[in-house]
Amino acid sequence: MLPQGIKKAITDNPKKLANLIDLVNLPSTLREFVGQSQISRLGCFMCVWSYIKTKNLQDPYNKNVVNCDDKLKSILLGKPQVDLAELPALIKMHFPKEPK
Amino acid sequence: MGKIPPSFRSAIGNPNIRNPSSLFRPQPPSSPSKPPSLKKQSPKPIPKPNPIFKSPNLEDAKKIFDSIANSSKDPRFPNSLLHSYAKIAASTTDSVKFLHHITKTLPSFSPDRSTFHILLSHSCANPNSNSNSSSNSAISAIHQTLNSMHAAGVTPDAATADVAIRALCSAGHLDHAIELVNEFASKHCLPDTYTFNFLVKHLCKARALSSVYDFIDEMREKFGVKPDLVTYTILIDNVCNGKNLREAMRLVSVLHEEGFKPDCFVYNTIMKGYCVLSRGSEAIEVYNKMKEEGVEPDLVTYNTLIFGLSKSGRVVEAKKLLRVMAEKGYFPDEVTYTTLMNGMCRKGEVLAALALLGEMEGKGCSPNECTYNTLLHGLCKARLLEKAIEFYGVIKEGGLKFDTASYGTFVRALCRDGRVAEAYEVFDYAVESKSLTDVAAYSTLESTLKWLKKAKEQGLAV
Repeated sequence: MLPQGIKKAITDNPKKLANLIDLVNLPSTLREFVGQSQISRLGCFMCVWSYIKTKNLQDPYNKNVVNCDDKLKSILLGKPQVDLAELPALIKMHFPKEPK
Repeated sequence: MGKIPPSFRSAIGNPNIRNPSSLFRPQPPSSPSKPPSLKKQSPKPIPKPNPIFKSPNLEDAKKIFDSIANSSKDPRFPNSLLHSYAKIAASTTDSVKFLHHITKTLPSFSPDRSTFHILLSHSCANPNSNSNSSSNSAISAIHQTLNSMHAAGVTPDAATADVAIRALCSAGHLDHAIELVNEFASKHCLPDTYTFNFLVKHLCKARALSSVYDFIDEMREKFGVKPDLVTYTILIDNVCNGKNLREAMRLVSVLHEEGFKPDCFVYNTIMKGYCVLSRGSEAIEVYNKMKEEGVEPDLVTYNTLIFGLSKSGRVVEAKKLLRVMAEKGYFPDEVTYTTLMNGMCRKGEVLAALALLGEMEGKGCSPNECTYNTLLHGLCKARLLEKAIEFYGVIKEGGLKFDTASYGTFVRALCRDGRVAEAYEVFDYAVESKSLTDVAAYSTLESTLKWLKKAKEQGLAV
């Protein structure tokens, strides 16, 4: 199942996969956060998520919500609180579609 | 879901299993740790905690050999040493030179057939030959060995062909393997059925069906090598995997024309073909025909049938079959139970599936990864989230992996219930346990959350 599933994802939509794993030059705000000048969208998500975990930023009463610290605010539109559910969408904003 | 568990697949897909060749079979290059056992002539290399030869350098190896050359009176000792060196040698030329060195140092030792088989089996497993030119270097390495074999006055036999063909096939040089079979058949001896079937099996995997047929016809016309029942089983299995059942039926009729009587393996293979396409009734027909012909069904037969019936939604019959097989003295294994649970989950009878899990464990049959994944998937589908989380705990505790389907369903179920944080945790586990690639795991999570947002807007989710 697994190899088939992946194969399908790739053959179905190579572009979708590409914009997930291609390295992208980062804007300065993001560059500061991840400490690299280039990262893929997937890598960026992993980076932010592990940052949230190591800093214990999930709200203790509602784990679905992240209380942003200053550093996190700087990359997530300055919101004081972010829902985990919207995290991928917020990160995606830093990775605009390339003009054709 | 709807897949054949691996344990099950290998049992059907590898008809060679029941005919272990008496010939020496080289290990595939990927597992260099196990010394192949040379039957008859040569012993297993003396088990050593450390390999004698640590570097592929020929001069080093010669020195090491000189220091221990006279330490054993066993006539097979030089072969073992050659084997150890050939495993790590950079090229066949080095191995051949090493052999020359052995014969020079130990005049009492004369290389025999098994000596050259050792060289042959390592001719293609050469680490330096993985570039484009590797194909040619592999065949020239084989020829080089065969020439020195000739020079030593040893005639190649069917076992030699077998060793060489297997080495070539495992390294992926199919064209050369075919060439070599032709060469052997015209110069020395015909390939035996094991060699022939091995080659056919590899061809099936890599080539179009027509070229496999061409090869079989060519062998038949030129050398009178006829396909046997195993060959047909391989072919039928191959076309069934390609969902080409019409061709499978044609092969079965050819099989009858050739005067073969289908055995349990042929029937199992055909049945599997039908089952994969959810054609349970046809599978049952095959089963009945099999009984008419007096072929005794085995465990795989029952597992296949239960799989097929479950897949086409005929769980009640599948359950009956469980009893039948017990009467015949076959104990349902974890594959049987898992397929049946799969069928029950499809029908929405998750609680029955859970009861079956209890029964299974009661009978001392322990569930495997696939069982838990099946149940997890079923529980999520049936919206029994608490129970599903319990099973996730079991999976995590056992360090087991998710399959793609159950991971996706579970993540969706958690998100639907507003437990996004837990979904993230599951995502972490999926990545950590390497169940899926990071990309697959993340895409699922991302698209689920996107869907959740939409559902929320429409007021469909929490």
